[in-house]
Amino acid sequence: MRRLYAVGVTVLVLVLLPFVLSEFRTVQLATVGAYFIAVLGLDVLLESGQVSLGHGAFMAVGGYTTAILMANHGVQDVWTIPIAAGVAGGLGLLFGIPALRLSGSYLALATFAIAIVLPTLLKKFDHFTGGSTGITLFGRPTQTGHGTGYLGLTNNTWLYALTWLVGVLVFLLAWWLLASRFGRSLRAVRDSELAAAASGVNRSAYKVAAFGVSAAYAGAAGALYAINVAYVSPDTFPIQLSLFLLVGAVMGAFGSIWGALAGALLIQFLPDIVGVLPHVDTKQAGPATFFYGAVLVALILLLPFVLRVASSIADRSYSRTP
Amino acid sequence: MKIALLLAVAVLGAAASSASGASTPGVSATSIAIGSSGPLTGEAAAAAGVLRGADGYFKYVNAHGGVHGRKIQFTYLDDGYDPSRTVNNVRQLIQQNNVFALFSVVGTNENLAIRDFTNAAGVPQVFSAAGATTFGRDYAKYPWTIGYLPPYHEEGEIYAKNILKTQPKAKIAVLYQSDDYGRDLLAGFRAGLGGKARSAIVQTVGYDPTATDVQSQVAQLKASGANTFMIFAFGKFAIQAFVYANKLGWKPQIYVNDVASASSIMALDPASTAEGSISILWGKDPATPAFAKDPGVKLAAQVIKQYIPGGNPSDGFLVAGMAEAYSLVDALKAAGKNLTRQSLMTAVTHMNETSNPFLAPGVTVRTTPASRFPISHVRLQRWHKGHWVPFGGLVSGRL
Repeated sequence: MRRLYAVGVTVLVLVLLPFVLSEFRTVQLATVGAYFIAVLGLDVLLESGQVSLGHGAFMAVGGYTTAILMANHGVQDVWTIPIAAGVAGGLGLLFGIPALRLSGSYLALATFAIAIVLPTLLKKFDHFTGGSTGITLFGRPTQTGHGTGYLGLTNNTWLYALTWLVGVLVFLLAWWLLASRFGRSLRAVRDSELAAAASGVNRSAYKVAAFGVSAAYAGAAGALYAINVAYVSPDTFPIQLSLFLLVGAVMGAFGSIWGALAGALLIQFLPDIVGVLPHVDTKQAGPATFFYGAVLVALILLLPFVLRVASSIADRSYSRTP
Repeated sequence: MKIALLLAVAVLGAAASSASGASTPGVSATSIAIGSSGPLTGEAAAAAGVLRGADGYFKYVNAHGGVHGRKIQFTYLDDGYDPSRTVNNVRQLIQQNNVFALFSVVGTNENLAIRDFTNAAGVPQVFSAAGATTFGRDYAKYPWTIGYLPPYHEEGEIYAKNILKTQPKAKIAVLYQSDDYGRDLLAGFRAGLGGKARSAIVQTVGYDPTATDVQSQVAQLKASGANTFMIFAFGKFAIQAFVYANKLGWKPQIYVNDVASASSIMALDPASTAEGSISILWGKDPATPAFAKDPGVKLAAQVIKQYIPGGNPSDGFLVAGMAEAYSLVDALKAAGKNLTRQSLMTAVTHMNETSNPFLAPGVTVRTTPASRFPISHVRLQRWHKGHWVPFGGLVSGRL
């Protein structure tokens, strides 16, 4: 009950934020919503004991599905979200099958390879993907409100509302999934594959399914990202994005939803945080990159601990289930 | 629970809403806010010299009273040459920083990615540091956008005309970047050769802008038996093209595109690598001895010394940025005391600037509402003994 209450307060804050934030901050938070969804998906995967360093690639699949459908096939942006989730999810399922043979760092490396290869593939088939020039979606008729606004909301507030509506829905879905038999089976597989198999859990099916669900989340996130930015190019989904998503997801796995939210905020705002440090000239490459790395390492080392303490203070019943 | 509430209060408290009171966004009685975005970091970081140079010149202008009593506040953000970051930067500049206009955003893809947004918002996107022909040609659809550099299509035509004149029997190999910039140059080059294009061009090879190396492309081009080599490549790829051609013992007549013609790129080892190469010239490269005593280059050196800490006085990108900044200041003056976004666009489409000290002698900035290529006449230059030597008069692809 207390947790539902917490979710309620979070939703209330989400609704109120656009009224006090500037247009630009609002659309930044919309992007945070997209990252949040991708991080949630990655948490589902972590729950099954698998890891992915390539979820940026599944976001790219979702983003490009949306962009191509909107630009070339006249599909309204909102309807591309489930399609993008489906396409990315399908690819995730396919990738999940060979992934069964890999574990731990080998799986991480294989997924890393997807994230590296995909931008090159996107450039290779440039008639389809627009090559390195990318696809601009701003002002197209398939953009809800054509970039000016919708339902009496400004364009940015509408994007924010759409993203977080989807965000809250898929969060509830993930919550339900992980609390259900599906989630218990995933945890059983993660904790001991042998014991899980002995109890009649189809280990392969659950691991592949976890990959599919997680990729579908990333696909929806990519679709929303593309709708928010109204532009995709191969560089939109760089390898760093995959790494940041994993950092966010690791925080999420420790601290549950607050961690996922913090991870998503971090992906968006870390460059800004680095920018306000004294004596750091972000107009030079060296120092900014160094601080970026240092902040990231510090966060990975410290945040799970901080979040765990914070969440146990906030809600003593919290650590029982994810 | 407390955490959630605390978080809520913190976020709500931290939220600062920036309201704009002035009638024209970004313009007050004492200041004009101008924004830009470019590759301050990453592979293309050298091109950010354009923004630093412009920044230095604005500071110089501010120290001398500004424009109609207003100081130019220039904010430029890093996009690492990634167009989606340019989109975010431009959103921030327009919606958060409330800039009056965007100026000299670097890169063709970057400007393409933002122009739908700037034109929908009615924000001037002027003197972009990109040469794609579309920025000057498609003004009916994008009235708020205008480029600055000589259009790539025209640059290609100029090289073609020079080849037709000096070596009509040339067998030509082309290395080009396979994006809008490289293809634009190649298309202009083909158009300039006209009927001869089919027989004269023996091989064209593209490379991906994120490739690591163009060695195999250069080997392929050498194997075509060409005696003329067009380098339509950027930064390190242009350097590699020179170096590999030299290593393979290939000695063609080389033409190198403007964006890779900085003296810092051309000064290769051994010194004979780039000898005899031809390129176009529009801004004053401070490393060119012909300009050593030029007042414009002297002014540039003074601006670099005073306002650009760590700036290399022989960096041609800095001077190119100053040339753009000079033209913007001219346009802001012409737009009048009652500055609006519309009056700026009127000014930049009625340019007749012959006094720009940072442009090569004879090169002018001229625009009309129907002809939006600020620099359409350039000169040719040849690399000789470690520096550029201008030759011939003004040339244009349209003549």
